[in-house]
Parts: sequence; structure tokens; C-alpha cells
Amino acid sequence: MTVLIEIKVPDVGNVAEIDVVEVLIQPGDVVALEQTVATLETDKASMDLPSSVAGTIQQVYIKPGDKVSEGSLIATVLASTEQAVVAEQAPAAATIADAPIAVSLPAMPVAPEPKAVESLQAPEVTTGKAHASPSVRLFARELGVDVAKIKTGSGRKGRILKDDVKNFVKKVLTDGVVAAGAGIPSIPAVDFTPFGETETLKLSKIKRLTGQNLTRVWLNLPMVTYHDEADITDLEAFRNALNGEKAKDELKITGLMFVIKALIAAMQQFPNFNASLSADGESLILKKYFNIGIAVDTPNGLVVPVLRNANSKSINELAVELAEKSEKARLGKLLPSDMQGGCLTVSSLGGIGGTAFTPIINAPEVAILGVTRAKMQPVWNGKEFVPRLMLPLDLTYDHRVIDGAEGARFMAAVKHYLADIRRLLL
Amino acid sequence: MNDAVLHAEVVVLGGGPGGYSAAFRAADLGKQVVLIERYPVLGGVCLNVGCIPSKALLHAAQIIHEVDEFEQHGISYGKPTLDLDKIRGWKESITKTLNEGLAGLVKQRKVTLIQGTGKFTSPDTLSVQTETGVTTIRFDQAIIAAGSHPTKIPIFPHDDPRLLDSTDALELKEIPKKLLIVGGGIIGLEMATVYHAFGSKISVVELMDQIIPGCDKDLVMPLFRRIKKQYNNIWLETRVTSIESHSDGLKVFFDGKGAPESELFDAVLVAVGRRPNGKLIDANLAGVNVDEQGFIAVDKQQRTNIGHIFAIGDIAGNPMLAHKAVHEGKVAAEVVAGHKSAFDALTIPSVAYTDPEITWMGLTENQAKQQGIEYDKAVFPWAASGRSLSLGRKEGLTKILCEKETGRLLGAGMVGPNAGELIAEAVLALEMGADAEDISLTIHPHPMLSETFGFAAEMITGTITDLYIKKQEL
Repeated sequence: MTVLIEIKVPDVGNVAEIDVVEVLIQPGDVVALEQTVATLETDKASMDLPSSVAGTIQQVYIKPGDKVSEGSLIATVLASTEQAVVAEQAPAAATIADAPIAVSLPAMPVAPEPKAVESLQAPEVTTGKAHASPSVRLFARELGVDVAKIKTGSGRKGRILKDDVKNFVKKVLTDGVVAAGAGIPSIPAVDFTPFGETETLKLSKIKRLTGQNLTRVWLNLPMVTYHDEADITDLEAFRNALNGEKAKDELKITGLMFVIKALIAAMQQFPNFNASLSADGESLILKKYFNIGIAVDTPNGLVVPVLRNANSKSINELAVELAEKSEKARLGKLLPSDMQGGCLTVSSLGGIGGTAFTPIINAPEVAILGVTRAKMQPVWNGKEFVPRLMLPLDLTYDHRVIDGAEGARFMAAVKHYLADIRRLLL
Repeated sequence: MNDAVLHAEVVVLGGGPGGYSAAFRAADLGKQVVLIERYPVLGGVCLNVGCIPSKALLHAAQIIHEVDEFEQHGISYGKPTLDLDKIRGWKESITKTLNEGLAGLVKQRKVTLIQGTGKFTSPDTLSVQTETGVTTIRFDQAIIAAGSHPTKIPIFPHDDPRLLDSTDALELKEIPKKLLIVGGGIIGLEMATVYHAFGSKISVVELMDQIIPGCDKDLVMPLFRRIKKQYNNIWLETRVTSIESHSDGLKVFFDGKGAPESELFDAVLVAVGRRPNGKLIDANLAGVNVDEQGFIAVDKQQRTNIGHIFAIGDIAGNPMLAHKAVHEGKVAAEVVAGHKSAFDALTIPSVAYTDPEITWMGLTENQAKQQGIEYDKAVFPWAASGRSLSLGRKEGLTKILCEKETGRLLGAGMVGPNAGELIAEAVLALEMGADAEDISLTIHPHPMLSETFGFAAEMITGTITDLYIKKQEL
């Protein structure tokens, strides 16, 4: 007894289009179990499709150059029932004679192997049947675009024009994965299985969005990070005294609140730090309000709630507001409006440790202040070493807006306020 | 200056059309270029012993034929007399003009030209045997453009000066009374055209079942019919088994249908193809792979298996045509200079400068059938072209193949006087993705031979008025 079994393209991951590179079978061929029937290729990997059933090829539905996707029919195989049962994942219904039965083939991804003769500078671009003139094909090649992937052109009779190539690139850049910056080579896919066991976890949406945003900032902003230390010995003494006065269940004041206040005072002194560059990069938009973002670590990823009009709120008010927003963040209940309108962000790792780091700006803001753990250190006062509590500060700024000297002066101002917070009253 | 060492950002090995184009393009893109050529003049086979001198002689042949054929229409000059020295001198003056032009272009571009035979000694050095000694060239990148040579058949008596290759034939030393052309391809038939006009009795022997194998038979037939009348014999599906040198000529033995067992000729021209020079340049010392035949495999950017060494032209694969080499040379030079160029042409046109000329591009009908591609075909007879008739010729054809579903141009071919000049429009149409309608809606000037391309497209779109084609019964 024989059954007709359909060979289909298996699930190869989130790939919309798979190119058929080679078809190794034709009707009448007898294929053995695990014999390669076709070679498929995505933009990340090529794979050999082994037949999971032995039998005689009845009909082949693909040819090289075709584009297929998950579930596309590759071929039908006439197999004896015993063989069909052997087939991996073949459903029990395989015993029904002459009924087409879908068998998914296990895909065997092969990490792309650079061919001996392969261009390093331009991708293999297949013109194929694309309706594009030589100049447009050249333009596409320069941008690394496969014109065959541009479905319809906007020219007469669907001709692909230069604008279509540009729009294709724009679309890829906006829809595409994080790494798809223009002209930036993507990191090739690696098959880790030869090295040991792995497990794949989906990134949370926050992580993916944050990742996209950070990559965009990393690629677009010339960032400089400036490191310094503020003497907070006196501040800490005052803070401890303050917290000592508070009732047991009352909210304690953290050092971060004073950092926010010092930051605002410095921003008032250096208005360029409370600004954003216009989208065209031609002008600076100065802000007359003082909203401070605080990076908060949550189980789902990093979020940045914003403390609005922090300049007109007391330290106690700020402490309460931050506690509430942090709690909402951890519960995933922050509203988009809670995270909008920031002027400058503080990222504090002080509760964990560290001596310095290089935070990435939360664009379109122009700077971010990183804080790590304060440490008692010997400081030379001109005559002797004295123990002082020093707080490491890391200021990353957008060099298009802030010059090095201005950055240093801003940091000096922050330090100045933190060293003696009475200056905040002046 | 023995063992001089020279550094080159780009070295180009071979000064033929592909080589000098690569050298010039690379120089224009800011590279410091050294060009190695074994002969004292640039231009390679094409300019010195190929395309250009043969076209000069073919023009002379055409004049003889036209004058001869016009006798019946009322103009007669009498029998032509040939001054071979003068014809040769004229031919050489053309080559010389172009040689000098190239030498000027080398100077203007500050390309260093070294005359000598270059061979690789390592992946980044070449040694050049010059008249004055050996020059070593240390290069960053290399472009191999070392060309090809006429295929020699080992059993033939190559010492006999009456056994010619295309280079010898172009020298025009004398006009043999009886000339056998071995090989009915483009080169053989072009030389047949020349020598026939100059008075030789021509026989052609070809292994395949048609002359110009690779071209569709219907395009070859008008030429075949014409030369069948002009020449003594055309033996198809026939092999030359041996050639003996005798005092009164070369005795050639045949094996094939219709051919005699043997026949005596005053000279034999062997034109059975060309061999790439891949094995003559010690490419293996650079690590470059050369196949059995002498070809060097390259990718779309003309890069060999060694990343900084490129190959172009005849040595990089068929077809061995100057216009392919030039295009490849520019691609290689641009890639060398860091551009993202690639050989992306959809077709390489072919032209046989016979009388009538034959030309084709894109898909041939034979290929379409083999590949199972559904096509519409139109063949416009030049007998309906006033221009062709006024040239005294009516055998020409213009044929186009279009994709059945979309009408998009797939291939085209022409046969007839000056047909070679018509193919460029078809190539452009193919590259631009034109369909039959695009071509038929393009106004072609009247009365010109180029009009026939438009007419053929009108036959596809059903809009032709210059012919009457009965509508198929529905």
C-alpha cells in the first residue's frame, strides 16, 4: 500500500521569504530517508532539507529562484505505508491510502559559511526578473539592496526607479531589526549547538524597544562620558541626621534626592543641559521646565519614570513621588505619560556598587548622569589625608550640544552643590 | 637595471582592451597603476591581430562585393586590381593610429607601462622579463588580463607556413588560390569573407551541423545560402583527420558526410577557437586556481579565489569578446578602488562581421526551447524593408523573442548587411526591461535598417502595417 505524502517547508523561524537555491530532486527520483531534497536560503542561513520519508518523488512544486515560506509545498512523495510511518512526525493518518498527508521536515540550519570566492564589499545581488535599468541596479548594489526583493516599482509598467530603492531602504531601516543601520554589517547568525546545550528565551517587549532605542542613540549621538567624584561627607551626615528624626514608618530620604536638586541647580546655571537638538540638527531647543527622569530597574527591563517640575517640589515630595512611580514601574503599571517629557536622566547604580560606568543618553535629552556607590576615601586637604565620603559621578553628554569644557564646568557645579547643599538655597 | 623592484597599488597583467580599460579606470579612480604588456604596443589581440585589422580588411572586401554586385544595376568599374602592400599598409596605419592613441592615454593617466612577459612569483609579486632584465613588481592588488591564443591542433604541421592561424591570415602575405578554413565559427567565416573577396577559392569545414554554432539556425541560413553559392564547398559535420605537407600544397584528409577523402589546398586557415592563457602566467605561485583549460574562475566582482587578485576578459571565461573584457575590466578596477561594482549585465551581444552580418543577444530560440521558456516570436523579413532593397539586398531578417505572458523582450537577432549596428538598441531594450509594446511605440526613423527592429516588435503587438499577417481563426 502506498500513500502520497506532501513535503512542505518547515518552520524555520520568523522568516517571511525563503529562497530556493537548489532543487535536488525531480519526478521519478527515488529518495532515501534523510536525503537532501532541496537547499533553501534565508538572509541569515542556508539549510539543506532532508527528506524524512523514503519513496518516489511524484511531483516537484519548486524551482531554483522561487520564494517560499513556511508551509509551502515542495514536493509530493509516493511512499509505502511502512516507510511513511517511519517518517518523523508523520501523523497516524498516514495509513489512509493515497490521502495527501503533510509531513514537516526538520530543518537543519547551517551557519552561513563564507564561500571561497565571495565578495566582501557587495552582496550578491540578483537582478533576476526585476524590472530595473542598469543604473538603478548599480544604485541598488551600492546600497546593498537586492532589487529582486522590491516587489513593484513606481515607474511605468512597474519599473523600479531609484526612489523605489530609497524607499525600500527606508522601510528596512524603520521596520528592520535593530542592527540594520545603513551600511553597518549585521552580526552573522551563529549556530551554537556544536558548543553545547542552549535555551532560547524571547526578549520582553520593553527589552526589545529599549534595545532599538539605545541602538538608535548609540549610532546617532557622538557621546562623551566625563567622570568625577563629589564630596558628600557633610551631605551624608545631614541626611543621616534627617532620617534619624523621622518616624519609623516615614519615608527615608535617599542621596538621590539631593543629586536631583543639585542637578537642577546646575541646569539652571548651564541652560544647554536642559535642551534638545532640533531634528534637523540646526537649532537648540531650550526648555524652561525641569523634569528629571530616573532609570528604574524592573523585572521586565529598564524604564524611566519622570519627576515633573522637580525644581518646584520639595525633597520630601520628590521622595514620595519617586517611591510611588518606582512601585508602579515594578508592577508594570506606569502609563506612557509617566515616562514622557524628561529633560535629563539620572541612572543610579549606587545601591549595587561600581566605581564608574558610561551611561547612554536618553535622547532627545542631551545628557545623563550616572551615579555609583559612594566610598570613604583618603583625600589630601593640603596638609594631610582626611577621610571623606566620595560619590562617583559619570556625566555622558551629546558632544554636538555640549563642549568638553562646558561638561566639566557643569560637573564642577553639581559637585559644588553636593559638597555643601546650603548653596542650593542661594 | 637588473632585478629592479617596483611597487604598484594595482598591477594589470596584459594590455588588451580589457587590461588597458582596467588600468585606465583604476588610474582615474586614484590608484597608482602598473600595466604589463609583452608586446611593444597596447591593444592586444583585438587591436593588433583581431577585431580592428579584420574589420579594415572586411571593409575592403565589402567594397569589392558591392562594386561587383552593382554591375547588374548599371555601374561597372571592371575587374578590381589589388595592391596587397598598399592594402596592408592602410590596415597597419589604422592599427598604428589606435596604438598611438592608447600610448597617449597611458601617458595622460600617468600609468607606468612595462614591456615584458609577466609571471607571478608569489601572491603579491610578479616578475617581468623585459629587454633589459628582470623587474619585480610588488603589488597590493592585481588584475589578470592575459587573454587567450588561437587553439592549435597538435597533429597539424604547424611548421608549414601555409598552415595559418587568424594572426597569420591578417598579415595578408599572399592570396592563396585555394584556401581551406577549418572551423565555421565567426573568426573563420570573417577571414573566409576577406579572402574570398580577394580572389581565393574558399572551402569551409565545420564539425557541427551548422556554421556559427550557438546562433539560431534561421539567422544563419541567409549567410549560409549566400556563401554556399560563393564558396567551393562547405562541409558540415566533418572532421579534418590530418594534414600533410606536400611541395604543391597541403593535403587535407576529411572524415564526414559529403566531404571527399582528401583534397589539396594552397593554404589552410585553422580557426577552431581560442585557448585562455591561464597556464602561462604561473598563477599557481600566487595561489590562483586555474582550471584544466586555462580559465580562471571569478565571482561577480571579477575576484579570483585570492581576494586581492582579479581576472577579466578571455582568461576569465567565455565568450571571448573585447566588449565583455572591457566591461569586466572596468568592474574589476572599480572594485579594486573600493566601489561596489559587479558584472551585472543581462547579456553580452555577439556579432559576426560576415557578409551578411549576423548578430544576436539575450536568449536564443534554441535556449528558450531547452529551458522550456514560453515565448512569442516575430521575424521581420528585410525583403519588406525599402532600405535593404535599395542596398541591393533582400535576404536579411530581424527576429525578436518576447516573454509570452508579459511581452518583455527576451532575445533578439538580426542577419543582413550592417546588422551588427542594429543590435545595440536591442541590448538597451533588454537592459531597460522593455517589452514589445515599448519597442513598437518607439518611433524608428524611416527608411533605415534599424526600423526592422521596431517592425518585429509590431508583429508581436499585432500593430504592424508594413506586412499583412492574416489573423488566426478564433
